[in-house]
Amino acid sequence: MLAVWQKIKADVAGRPFISLLTLITIVSATMLLTLALATLLNLSQPYDRSFAELNGAHLWLYFDRAKVRRRDVERIELLPEVTESTGIQYSVTSRVQIDDTRVLVSIRRTPFQQPQVNRLLVQEGRYLLSNQTEVLASRDLSDLYGLGVGETLGVTRQDGKKVTLPVIGLAYNPTWDTYRNTQPPYLYVGESLFQELYPDEAIWEWSLGVRLANPEAVDETLARIEALLQTDAVRIHTDWRDVKRSANFGARLNFIILGAFSLFAILATVLVIVSSISAFVLSQFRQVGILKAVGFTQAQILWLYTGQYLVLGWIGCPLGLLLGLLLSPLPLKNIASSLSTTFQPPLNPWIVVAVLVSVPAVIVLATWRSAQRAAKANIVKAIATGAEAPAKKEAWLPRLAARLGFPIPFVLGLSDVFARPFRSLSTGLNLLLGVIGIVFALTLNETLETYKANPPLLGIPYDAIVTRGATGDSRVQYLLERAPGVEAFYGEHRVDVETLTGETFQVRAVDGDVTDFPFKILAGRAIRPGTVEVMAGQGLLDWLGLSVGDELTVVLGGWHHRPVTWRIVGAYTEPVNAGQMAMANFSTLARLLPDERPAIYYLKLVPNADTALLKRYLEPRPESDLNLTLAGQAIPGVVVYLQLALFALSGILIGIALVSVFNTSLLAVQEKLRVIGVLKTLGFIPSQVITMVNTTAGFLGLLAAVLGLPLGWVLTKSALAIMAKSYGFGALEVPLNVLYALALPLLMIGVSIAGSYLPGRRAARVSIVNVLRGE
Amino acid sequence: MIPLVKIVDVEKVYKTGAVTFAALRGVSLDIADGDFVAVMGPSGSGKSTLLHLMGGLDRPTAGRVEVKGVVLSALDETALAKFRRAHIGFIFQFFNLIDNLTIQANVELPALLQGGRDRKAVRRRADALLERLGILDQASKHPWELSGGQQQRVAIARALINQPTLLLADEPTGNLDSVSGQDVLRILQEFNAQGQTILMVTHDAAAAAQAKQVIFIRDGRLVEAMPGRDAQQIAQSLAALTGT
Repeated sequence: MLAVWQKIKADVAGRPFISLLTLITIVSATMLLTLALATLLNLSQPYDRSFAELNGAHLWLYFDRAKVRRRDVERIELLPEVTESTGIQYSVTSRVQIDDTRVLVSIRRTPFQQPQVNRLLVQEGRYLLSNQTEVLASRDLSDLYGLGVGETLGVTRQDGKKVTLPVIGLAYNPTWDTYRNTQPPYLYVGESLFQELYPDEAIWEWSLGVRLANPEAVDETLARIEALLQTDAVRIHTDWRDVKRSANFGARLNFIILGAFSLFAILATVLVIVSSISAFVLSQFRQVGILKAVGFTQAQILWLYTGQYLVLGWIGCPLGLLLGLLLSPLPLKNIASSLSTTFQPPLNPWIVVAVLVSVPAVIVLATWRSAQRAAKANIVKAIATGAEAPAKKEAWLPRLAARLGFPIPFVLGLSDVFARPFRSLSTGLNLLLGVIGIVFALTLNETLETYKANPPLLGIPYDAIVTRGATGDSRVQYLLERAPGVEAFYGEHRVDVETLTGETFQVRAVDGDVTDFPFKILAGRAIRPGTVEVMAGQGLLDWLGLSVGDELTVVLGGWHHRPVTWRIVGAYTEPVNAGQMAMANFSTLARLLPDERPAIYYLKLVPNADTALLKRYLEPRPESDLNLTLAGQAIPGVVVYLQLALFALSGILIGIALVSVFNTSLLAVQEKLRVIGVLKTLGFIPSQVITMVNTTAGFLGLLAAVLGLPLGWVLTKSALAIMAKSYGFGALEVPLNVLYALALPLLMIGVSIAGSYLPGRRAARVSIVNVLRGE
Repeated sequence: MIPLVKIVDVEKVYKTGAVTFAALRGVSLDIADGDFVAVMGPSGSGKSTLLHLMGGLDRPTAGRVEVKGVVLSALDETALAKFRRAHIGFIFQFFNLIDNLTIQANVELPALLQGGRDRKAVRRRADALLERLGILDQASKHPWELSGGQQQRVAIARALINQPTLLLADEPTGNLDSVSGQDVLRILQEFNAQGQTILMVTHDAAAAAQAKQVIFIRDGRLVEAMPGRDAQQIAQSLAALTGT
């Protein structure tokens, strides 16, 4: 064993360039593996993690202020099921001005120190400071209206004066949800500022968040609480399980895509280690022959090479791990933010153990297999040829290229692709993963752009929305009929309904003719005014197992004896609540909703309508009751983060492919020195040698692009189709940009040539005399 | 008459770290067109270095190598490669054929590199050479399917396809059995008889005896020259040179 150990030391120290190259490969692969595992760690159970860390409330109660007293709240807090409470939370629902848009929000009095229960996760900027005139905004305001830290918003005080407040941070609330809920986004202000804005406590709304001994017993606890209070004292409530479902639902796209990319990265890491190390070992073929000739046994040769690369692995692995741990916060903080959860530092024992065990294991595997092949080789042949015999017969493609009169360097480069099938396969797979990654990111980007440019595809067939406060419905309708630039409009009132089997969902009760609007109808047709018809979101049909043509019978709260039955005439793209909504004529529900009228109006504008004029018409004064909002086309921050993450990961995958191409090209050159020497002797000029090496790599790049393009597109299409179905979105249009399709092969050829350029130059500089003297 | 190859005061020094080794020390030599020269000498005497310099595979540290009036050291890498492919043919001890190309493709390779656009003409030339060397029936095979002697014939065909000015052979029989070796020497003689200039490095007196002229080299210097044909005399000179 001493001889083996001495040889290990001599080999590692005596071949500094190869040792360094191996070390760099191991370090970069380990770093990538660490990043990939850290990403998976941050993707796992994001809601549970943030809920636990923020000590989220299991149940939020929004009270009817007139029906609840402080003593009632104290009685709730004393219930045995309740373990902790937020105390009474005060808020005022009001409109604030964000740029040109007035947005309904809940302005909440917030302590200067994060509370014990239901803390906020500050995702950007900072938390509130004592006695500062500033506001912390809900993350959703950023996603919906592009509100950012450092910007200002206008708040109307109780006395009617308008104040401008700076936004100092964006926060995530673990028990706030829009899913089947009517809670407006939150704005958090300090206690003194809240008092200053709304001095009259009588207008303050009350809510309470509680943590429960048994988090699953929300319904039972709610029933007990309601029993303690006056009827309908709890106006609405939020169940943490609904928020979790909603959060997990929202994070699903990120999870699937980032998870897939992490797995890609892990696979690429394994491939790069296997291809590089096995090629390194095989490039020492002559040495194996010599060692066997001087008496090394097969087992000793196995130990020798395994030991060599394990030594490098033991140096490179901790270094790569450390680098991965240090670099991971850069991408992962954004990913955690996009998942509305806390960043999970990857210094996790599982990651450390997984990396420190798996990388050396892959190294041993790669070395063992290759060393075994080398050790089994014929000694004389190994010494004479210095390399494992390549695939001997010329493949059909280079033969064809030769027959077609392609230049000799090109033909020989092509021939090298087939000379080492395993090496070409692993390098090609690395390139293929990179291509799939890019196609994934580009196709997703293209899909988003298409939908952004064509809102009806997203289920947004209107150009603007008008909301009303105290103004009556008929007055609004009167105004809209005469409004400049308005081609058509309909009013909407959302109603919670329940099927006869107990499923609850919301119905858009519409007043007007929706056939004037370009709804994306997935099947059947749109409802006609005055009919007992309904069109359903695809998600609702999937959920309830219904299809167009069926009947849908529902009841409204308190009207169980008077069910409503509609005929489903169409399925449409419903952009919210996972498509689990329906649209029916208001008239069919009017008898059950005698006091209700639409409060929101969807407008279709004439082409090139003067929206400024329309705004002045509907909102002549700053405090006007009507509020016009143009249909937003902003891509939510989550999607932007996702796109960035996808492009970053694609870049990493391409980087790995580049390393792989570099390694394999360099080793191929090393292994082919004799042939290169001979070719130069026969008259190959330096540029022809470079062309030959580049051709091998470039062909693999081209092949990867040609295969990866359709494969990546099909994979993306399938993934998005699954996502679209789960979002209740119906069939999704996934376009493939022709320019990208044409540019990608060029890009991959470029990447491959870049990766093989230095090895090619090295080959071109090979001294013929040294090579021939080696014989 | 201007010699085909003119070597003037050539020195070649190899440096490896602090160690320097003078492979050639002031060698001057002329080779006439149509000559067949054998270079003999003990291991490390500089004979292969001389062949490398004449073939433009290496550059002299001092002195001048001219082939057909072209000073090789004045050419850059690309020009030198182009000169090699047009004017020099090489035959190696270990054949150095490209394994994954057929015999036909191996032979045609230098001609295609030389810019042989007319592939049919290249094929005809290759076939003619292969036929003359008696291996046309092996044309579609790969080098590893042939015997050593056959492989060396392929190497000769490859070296001659561009009708080089100078054919350089480095121990062409060193890796062959005696029958195959004789065979190869006979072929070289035949080509020389038709006007092909040949320079051959060899350890074998019998092989050197096939040349018109034999030169001996020791410690980087030319020490003796004699006509070929007499193997016994050559063997004695070599023995005197090596002290065996």
